[in-house]
Amino acid sequence: MKIKLDNKEIECDANKTLLHICKDNSINIPTLCYQESLKPDARCRVCLVELNGKLVTSCSTFPVEGCSVITKSDRVVKARKMNVELIMAGHVQTCSIDKYAHNLCGMLEEIGLQGIRFDPIRDYEQDLGSAVVREDNKCINCGRCVRTCGEIQEVFAIDFASRGFNEHVAPYCEHNLADVACIKCGQCILHCPVGAIHEREHLFEVLKVLKDKRKKVIVQAAPSIRATLGEEFGMPAGSLVTGKMVAALRKCGFYKVFDVNLGADMTIMEEASEFLRRVGKGGPFPMITTCCPGWILMMEHFYPEMIKKNNMSTCKSPHEMLGMLTKTYYAQKESLNPEDIVVVSVMPCTAKKFESTRPELESGVDYVLTTRECAKLIRHFNIDFANLADEDFDSALGVSSGAGAVFGASGGVMEAALRTAYEFGTGKGVTKLEFDQIRGLEGIKSGSIIINGKEIKFACAHGGANIRKLLKDKDKYHFIEFMACPGGCIGGGGQPPHFTRETLLKRAEAIYKADAIMPLRKSHENPVVKKIYSEFLDKPGSEKAEKLLHTYYQKRSEF
Amino acid sequence: MQIIKKTGLEAVRKARELGAGKVLELLDRKGLVGRGGASFPTAKKWKFALETKSDEKFVICNADEGEPGAFKDKFILQNNPETLIEGILVASYIISAKRAFIYLRGEYEYLKGNLEKVIKKVVKDSKSDVSIEVVVGAGSYVCGEETAIIRSIEGFRGQPYFKPPFPPVQGLWGKPTVINNVETLAAAAQALVFDDWNPSLRLFSVSGCVENAGVFELPLGVRLSALLKLAKPKGKVKALLFGCFGGSMPYKDIELTPENICGEDCLHGSCSVIVVDDSHSMVGLSYVIAKFFAYESCGKCTPCREGTVRVMYLMKKLKDMKASKEDLVLLEELAHHIKDTSLCGLGQSSTNHIITGLKHFREDFEDRIL
Repeated sequence: MKIKLDNKEIECDANKTLLHICKDNSINIPTLCYQESLKPDARCRVCLVELNGKLVTSCSTFPVEGCSVITKSDRVVKARKMNVELIMAGHVQTCSIDKYAHNLCGMLEEIGLQGIRFDPIRDYEQDLGSAVVREDNKCINCGRCVRTCGEIQEVFAIDFASRGFNEHVAPYCEHNLADVACIKCGQCILHCPVGAIHEREHLFEVLKVLKDKRKKVIVQAAPSIRATLGEEFGMPAGSLVTGKMVAALRKCGFYKVFDVNLGADMTIMEEASEFLRRVGKGGPFPMITTCCPGWILMMEHFYPEMIKKNNMSTCKSPHEMLGMLTKTYYAQKESLNPEDIVVVSVMPCTAKKFESTRPELESGVDYVLTTRECAKLIRHFNIDFANLADEDFDSALGVSSGAGAVFGASGGVMEAALRTAYEFGTGKGVTKLEFDQIRGLEGIKSGSIIINGKEIKFACAHGGANIRKLLKDKDKYHFIEFMACPGGCIGGGGQPPHFTRETLLKRAEAIYKADAIMPLRKSHENPVVKKIYSEFLDKPGSEKAEKLLHTYYQKRSEF
Repeated sequence: MQIIKKTGLEAVRKARELGAGKVLELLDRKGLVGRGGASFPTAKKWKFALETKSDEKFVICNADEGEPGAFKDKFILQNNPETLIEGILVASYIISAKRAFIYLRGEYEYLKGNLEKVIKKVVKDSKSDVSIEVVVGAGSYVCGEETAIIRSIEGFRGQPYFKPPFPPVQGLWGKPTVINNVETLAAAAQALVFDDWNPSLRLFSVSGCVENAGVFELPLGVRLSALLKLAKPKGKVKALLFGCFGGSMPYKDIELTPENICGEDCLHGSCSVIVVDDSHSMVGLSYVIAKFFAYESCGKCTPCREGTVRVMYLMKKLKDMKASKEDLVLLEELAHHIKDTSLCGLGQSSTNHIITGLKHFREDFEDRIL
């Protein structure tokens, strides 16, 4: 289709919106409520352009044959400026978010806004959740969080309430976020352009405890952190920074740096054994993984019947297992008083913050930092992250296999579990370690494998909407992996903001690279895992392992 | 009055006899246009829905008459619901919809009982297989906008959605949907049946500083003086407001046609006329209207959500004689900005009263400046 763009005739795709056509022609149009992964809503009215002399929002408008689109006229500039001024007047004036993560304040220069002629009128209370905190005074009603929660996650924990200038985002019936059916995945945080939603920070607590001479503060980093932490320090997506991360954490003053990949290996040992027990008994199927605390909350809120049917694996999540082992096995070995040990997890996840407060877990983890908080901590100590020399994890609980590493991407838990389950079941190794059918960013992936003449069907889904879809025909499968965040942990709610598929793909690539370069790639080959079982736990599923590494679930309200 | 003439099941019978194509042709020839405000040819709208392929189609009757100073739909709902229901059945028959809805304004809930009785009777007597459901709104003004009605019936927040796609192509639950005003649907049934049906007759809702407020049926193009003679103004007429969103104009004995009204920068909308006499200041009036729009803005788009409340504050300042010259400049800028950039028609017309007020009664505003 031929159209005129800023008085220049161009050829364009009729199925693209004006916003994308402009982007293709190197014209940058400021946006707030628009995001590629969400349906356009045309709320913020910042992406205005002139179409045949009429102001339209470019995010939601398609071209018509021969039309004229103007992106820079005085009228357009003035209208955009006025809308941003109106938005800024409602946005809290003492906002102090990093510019790069903050679309609104970042765009002021581009828009050319100098002064605000309106007085602030908003006055809301902070909603202090156990994992996710909402600050309505910063909110600009763009609705990205609402659409994320509804469209991508299908959780519907938040929506707009009231109307006119009183319209604001609120959880069900204006309750606090902590009291409603929210799975605490934190996807809303990633999509917020103004930092009005953020994680409940444990940063100050960690800084305080780091100064406490009597405490041994041990940090453990999740599989996906090494693939994303670099982005916080300006490195390209997909940079693998394992060594630098360990060095930086050690420089922050942590007593030991342990690897949650080891916890992942332990999870696999327990989970694969549990699965084989079920295969032997003939059920109950499907068995569903429980590494993702967001999914566990989703199940407890919306699918509690699965608890009765025993579909859920009873394994704790990897960092909970490792935290527990640190305070029992490691403390015993090093003759430390468990009460002097403080375990800090660095997680890609906000739901883990909630998980560590579950009473039934008697959690070994004291504090959970997100990737973003971890970066803040490193910056707090003025560490030049990019130029650090690589260091290794502390070997006591820091040796891991490649199977633990792939936990970070969607399909990874399944892949790792299958490598071990196959060998446990048949006594032979799998011919090909890479399960390609469950790699990649497809929403729902499935495959099958023959173990001892029995066909085992497995599937995995990531993102709440895909989980709901796969649950409809869950009975077809024996083994299912669910991850609440799109892409798995690499797209987690605690990660650096990412908005494109490419970023996720690059992070996944880094995760699989971390697996491929490992000398050991199966959990049960990990020498530390072997040692833990021989010295402490006896064997997977033993009474002691059941007590320390397994948990149970409870029904929660649907609202 | 033409609008209260009952069609007595004749419209449904005739529609079945003629078939969709001929009915559309007939309505087109008779010049039936929408009475909700946009004057879109009804036959054309139905044709879009007819030509869109879908397993399911819907008809919605827009009875969310929330505009201050408009009460003609209520008049029809009270006095001629039978013909309205027939109109809905005809529309359903033409586009082959099996379900229809009447989206009733929350404040009209007391009409629901009678309406349902009439629906039951007409549907039964006409042996139609269409089910008509009365959905009562929750009192939001913006739900008179067609995309907001759709969202509201679907069970979502009643907020408008950007167009295209237009409802006749993709409406309720993503299916082709015809949305017509109460008066349009009743007139459609009558246009089919009566040979002497007059397309230019309109219902004018007249209110304000008059002794005889009410609904008057007059042809478009009638002189304003003739309308006012019927309504009996109390004092010297200073200005006329065409509903809250239509804007104001100083009294002039014009012929009331959409073109003439537009010539005064106003919107004739659904033919509601509020008469203002010279005992009132336009500023006080504008403040009341600004308050109305700030309260009724749905909150979806920035200019309307943030803008209408700022307009209200500025109008209050002006009313209280606390506003400066800059405030008036800002007010005017905001008014044009909201009109230019709001998402839906209601937001876009929410500042017409200020734009036209500043054009025709500038001295009223400037007198109030500090």
